[in-house]
Amino acid sequence: MRELVKMVLVLSIIGTVSGYGLATLKQATRPAIEEQVLTYVQGPALLGVLQGVDNNPIQDRKQLPMADGEELTVFPGFKDGNLCCLAFESFAPGYSGDIGVMVAFDVLSDQVRAVGVTTQTETPGVGTRVFVPAFCDQFREHPLTKLALKSGDGDIDAVSGATISSNAMVNAVQKAAALYPELKERAVAAWQE
Amino acid sequence: MDYFLLVITAVFISNIVLVQYLGACPFMGTSKAVSVALGMGGAVIFVMTLATALTWPIQHWLLLPYRVEYLQTIVFILVIASLVQLVEMFLRKFVPPLYESLGIFLPLITTNCAVLGVAILVQRSEYSFIRGVVFSLASGAGFLLALVIIAAIRERLDTAPVPRVFKGTPVALITAGMMSLAFYAFRGMGG
Amino acid sequence: MHRLWKEFSKGLWKELPPFRVLLGLCPTLAVTSSAENGLGMGLAVVFVLTLSNLIVSLLRKMIPPKVRIACFILIAASLVVTVELLMQAYVYPLYQTLGIFVPLIVVNCLILGRAEAFASKNPVLPSVADALGMGLGFTLSLTFLGGIRELLGNGTVFGVPMTWDSFQPLSIMVQAPGAFLALGLILAAMNAFSNWYSRRHEETPPRALEAITSCSSLGAEPMVVLNGDDANGNGNGANGR
Repeated sequence: MRELVKMVLVLSIIGTVSGYGLATLKQATRPAIEEQVLTYVQGPALLGVLQGVDNNPIQDRKQLPMADGEELTVFPGFKDGNLCCLAFESFAPGYSGDIGVMVAFDVLSDQVRAVGVTTQTETPGVGTRVFVPAFCDQFREHPLTKLALKSGDGDIDAVSGATISSNAMVNAVQKAAALYPELKERAVAAWQE
Repeated sequence: MDYFLLVITAVFISNIVLVQYLGACPFMGTSKAVSVALGMGGAVIFVMTLATALTWPIQHWLLLPYRVEYLQTIVFILVIASLVQLVEMFLRKFVPPLYESLGIFLPLITTNCAVLGVAILVQRSEYSFIRGVVFSLASGAGFLLALVIIAAIRERLDTAPVPRVFKGTPVALITAGMMSLAFYAFRGMGG
Repeated sequence: MHRLWKEFSKGLWKELPPFRVLLGLCPTLAVTSSAENGLGMGLAVVFVLTLSNLIVSLLRKMIPPKVRIACFILIAASLVVTVELLMQAYVYPLYQTLGIFVPLIVVNCLILGRAEAFASKNPVLPSVADALGMGLGFTLSLTFLGGIRELLGNGTVFGVPMTWDSFQPLSIMVQAPGAFLALGLILAAMNAFSNWYSRRHEETPPRALEAITSCSSLGAEPMVVLNGDDANGNGNGANGR
C-alpha cells in the first residue's frame, strides 16, 4: 500500500512539475513563435503580394475585430508614408484540407492587388498546378466584381484537371473580397491614428 | 473511391517504412524470420489502429478545446504506452490464442516510432476520425507488407555467400534500400 | 576525471550510435538528407539526452522501480516538448524541415536506453558525461551521413558546392532509398575498418552491430509493473542502489 502511494505520488509530482514548467515556457515563447510562424509560413506569400511597399508588413500588423466577433490579422503596406494596400489571409476547403490564400487589396483603387498561397495540402502534381504564377497572376489588379471561374459568372480561367483546387482558390479570394469593404474602414481608421 | 486512394497511398505510394522512414528500428530488428515478421506486423496494425482511435478524440475533445495542443507529444506517448500494456493484459486474460501469436510483440511496440508517428501524422493532416482510422489501418498493413517481404529476403540471405563485412545488418540495409527503390516506382500513381 | 573521460569517450567510438549500436534508426535515416539537418537533429537529441540523463540520475533514488519506465517516458516527453517549443521560437525553418521527427525524439531508443541502462544506476556527473559522449557521437554520425548523402545527391555539403562542373548528382541519395544504401555501406565500411584495426593490434574485433535488439528489449519492459513477478525489473533497479 505504502509503495503504491509512493508510486502515484512520484508520478504526479513529476507530471505537475513538467506541466507547470511547460506552461511557463509556452507563455514565454508565445510572441517569438508567432513572429516565426508569420515570417516563415505567411511571410513568403505576404512579401510577394505586397511587393514594392516601404515598410515591414509583419512588424506593422494589427489585429482588427470583425463583425462576427473574430479577430483578423491585417498586414498594411505603406508607400511614401500613406497606407496603400492591405493584405490578409483567407481560407477555403480544397481537395484535401483548407487552402490558405494571402490576398492583398489596393486601398486607393479598391482592386485586388495580388494573391499568393500560404498553406496547401493538395495532391502533388495535380492541385499544386493551381499555384503556378500564371493562375495567380489572373487576380493581379482585378476589380472586386467577376471574381469567379469562367464556368460561373466570372472571368478567371480554371486550371484544367484541377477544378476543385481552382475553385477553392477563387472561393478564398471571394471571401476576402466580401470582407474587404468593412475592413477597409476599420483599417484606415486604425492606421491613421 | 476516395478511401481506396487513401489506402493505396498509405500502403504503397508513401509506404510508412520504405518511403517515410517510420519504424525503421523494428523493421531491422524483427525481420530475421517471416513468422516473427507476421506476428510483429499484426501487432502493429492492431495497436496503430487502436492508438489513432484513442488519440483522435483526445486531440479534438481535450487538447484543442483547452488550447494545450503543445502537450500532444507527452499525452500521445503516455496514452500509447498505457494502451499497449492494457491490450497485453486484456489479451492474456481473455483471448489466449491471440495472445499466443501477438503477445510477445506487443511490449516492443511502445518504442516503435511508427505508432506514435502515425498518430501525430493523422492530426497534422487534419483527417476526420474515420479517415484517420482507415489511414492507420492501411499504414499498419504497409508496415506488415514491407516487414514480411524483407524477412523473406533475409531468410534467403542467411544461406547466401555474403561478403564478410556485409553480413547481418549492412546487407539488410542495402536490401531495404533496393526495396525502397522498388516502392518509388509507385510514385505518381493515383494522382 | 579518468572515469568521466571513459564514460564520455565510449560514445565516440566503442559504442558509437547509430553506427555501432543501432539505436535511433528512424531519425538517422529520415533527417540526413543534408548535413545541416543531420546536425540540427543531433543537437536536439544532445539537448534532450543530456537533460534526461541529468534528471533521471538526480531522481534515481526517488523513482520507484516499478514505475521507472513511466517516469523516464514522462521526463523524456517533457524535454521533447521543450525542444519543440524552443525550435519553433528560434529556428522555425529547421523545425519545419525535421517535421514529425522532432516529436518522435521521444521514442528514439537512445534516450530511454541511456536512462534505463546508465543514468538510473550512476551518479550525476558520469551520467552527464555519458549523455554528452553518446549525443556527440550521434550528432557527428548524423552530420557525417548527411554530408555524404548531400554530397552525392546534391553536390554540396552544408549548402556549399563541393564538386566539379560535370558532376551529375544522384538525386536518389537524398531520398529514402539512398538513406538505406548509405547507412548499409557505412556499416560495412566500419566493419572492414574494425577488422583491419583488430588484426593489426591482434585483438578480437568488436562486433556490437547486432545490438539493435537492446532497443527492442527495452520496450519489452512494461511501463508500470503491476503484479509481483517483476524479478527482472526489480533486479535491474536494485543493482544501482
